Formats: sequence, C-alpha cells, structure tokens
Amino acid sequence: MKRFFPLLLILGLLGLGYLLLPKGPHSFFGTRLLNPKPVDFTLQGPEGPLRLADFQDKLVLIFFGYVHCPDVCPTTMLSLKRVYENLSPEERKRVQVIFISVDPERDAPEIADQYAKAFHHDFLGVTGTPETLQEVARTFGVYYQKTAYRGPGEYLVDHTATTFVVRKGQLVLLLSPDKLNFAQNPGYLPKVVADLRALL
Amino acid sequence: MEPGWVRLVPPVVPDTAAYLTLANRGKTPLRLVGAETPVAKRVSLHRDYQEHRGGHAVLGMRPLPYVEIPPGGRVAFRPGGYHLMLEGLKRPLKAGEKVELTLLFQGGLRVKVILPVEMR
Repeated sequence: MKRFFPLLLILGLLGLGYLLLPKGPHSFFGTRLLNPKPVDFTLQGPEGPLRLADFQDKLVLIFFGYVHCPDVCPTTMLSLKRVYENLSPEERKRVQVIFISVDPERDAPEIADQYAKAFHHDFLGVTGTPETLQEVARTFGVYYQKTAYRGPGEYLVDHTATTFVVRKGQLVLLLSPDKLNFAQNPGYLPKVVADLRALL
Repeated sequence: MEPGWVRLVPPVVPDTAAYLTLANRGKTPLRLVGAETPVAKRVSLHRDYQEHRGGHAVLGMRPLPYVEIPPGGRVAFRPGGYHLMLEGLKRPLKAGEKVELTLLFQGGLRVKVILPVEMR
C-alpha cells in the first residue's frame, strides 16, 4: 500500500486540478465585438430624457424599430420578451431592454414606451428629434429610411434590425434579426440566453 | 389550408399581421390578390425585404400586387417572410379572439378563414 501512495497522491492531485480548471470560454452565438465600442445617447422617454450612461450597472439590449411595423419589430420584441422571461428575477434586475423608435413623426415617446411595455412592463421605449436619432444611429451604425410612401403618416420604414448589447457603456455583442427570430428558429432561444448570462 | 394566426400587437399599434399557409391542390396556379376583414380598414400583401448596410441586416417590407401559389405547391406566410398586413385596425384585438379574413383570389374565388389572435 505504501508504495502506491505517491501514485494515489498524484492521481488525486490531477483529479483535483481537473475540477479546478476554468471552464472553457463561452462560445458566443451572437457577434462578440473584440474591440468594444464606447456608446452613449440621451433620448426622450415618457418621463423626460433617458441617458444610456445611467444604465452602467446593467446589460442593455437596444432595438431600433417603429411602432407601425407588424412583422419585423414584433418578431424581435417577442423574442426579447422570451429571452428576458427566461432569466432569473435576479438576472433580470441587471438587464434593461430599450426600444428606440426611428419614426418620431408618428411615435411620440409615450407611444414608443407603451409599445415596448406591451411586450414586457420592464421594457423602455424612447425616441428623439430626427437630428438626435440620426446621431444615435450613426453611433451604432444603424440605417433607416422611409419607403412605400403613400401619403402623410402612411409609409413603411426600412431599418437595421440588429439588437445591440451594451455593457458598461460599451457595445459588446450584436444579435442579428435572424438569431432573434424564434418564430422560425425556436432552438435559438437558449443560445441567446446563454450569451446574456456569459455577459452578466 | 393550414391553421394560421393573427398577431396580437400592443394596443398602440394600428396595424398587425396575419399568417397562414396556403396550399394549391388544383392544376392551375392560384393568385392571391388581396383580402378583407371586418376588423381592419385594409389588408395588403407584403413580403419582408432585406439588405445589408454597414455590416447589419436592414429589414423592411414591400407591398406585393399578388402572391402566386403554383399547382400542387404551397406558400407559407410567416414572420420574416410573407404576411398579410391588416392596416388600420378598427379596434385593438384581444388575445384568443377569432378574426374573420376573406382571401380574394384572381378569378373571383373568395375563401373565408377564421384565425385566432395570438401573441407569437
């Protein structure tokens, strides 16, 4: 028994070492930005200005869209709702979903906020003047353009449908609309949830 | 025809989308040219439109004059593809209620469908 002791000790230490090994880095489903980009904005919420920098302690998920949008926007917003509801109450306290309307002509801040809250009461909806929105869009690399103009107040809007994930004022992850289309790809839900957990 | 649904949207949204799958069991192409519903002012056919700008997917939708279902074929209306846009809802819809939709085909064929309102 005595001569086996060193061998057992080595095996034991190896086993312990294996257990202590850090788990491999999370492999992101979304596009992880290797050079996180500093971002900030001040837009109008229903109760006044809302600044991104005020959410330093939260993981912020930002989606640009517009209210008169029956297919693209609800598809992503419903997916964000499902992602959010899959987090624990503690995790949810550290996550904020913000919907930015790029159609201020039709969507007042109250409308944008009511829209966001209809998906989940913790979500926020904001908008701004056309000039401010352009500036914010430039920061995030977002494009939007009115199309199919039929008359005043009757048009569609093409818009970048990426969901931007911001941590401590830096853009760290991008989720394409395809990755947030759980209507077509139900298997993507746990992957997106895992991405957020890895960032929390 | 396979079951579909009308999307429940926030009450502040005056438009919504209807989804369903249409199958053509006949020997000639069928052209869906429009639809009517008592709950909205107008129904139009749309297909999602996608382009890439600045490394991101830019999405939108484009109205279509018709959607053709080939003989023996089927066309799925679903999020991210085709949808029937119910424009100008006369009142906010409620989850679980049934919406009547009359599909209008070229040649005068009218097909009535009843779709549930669901948040999905």
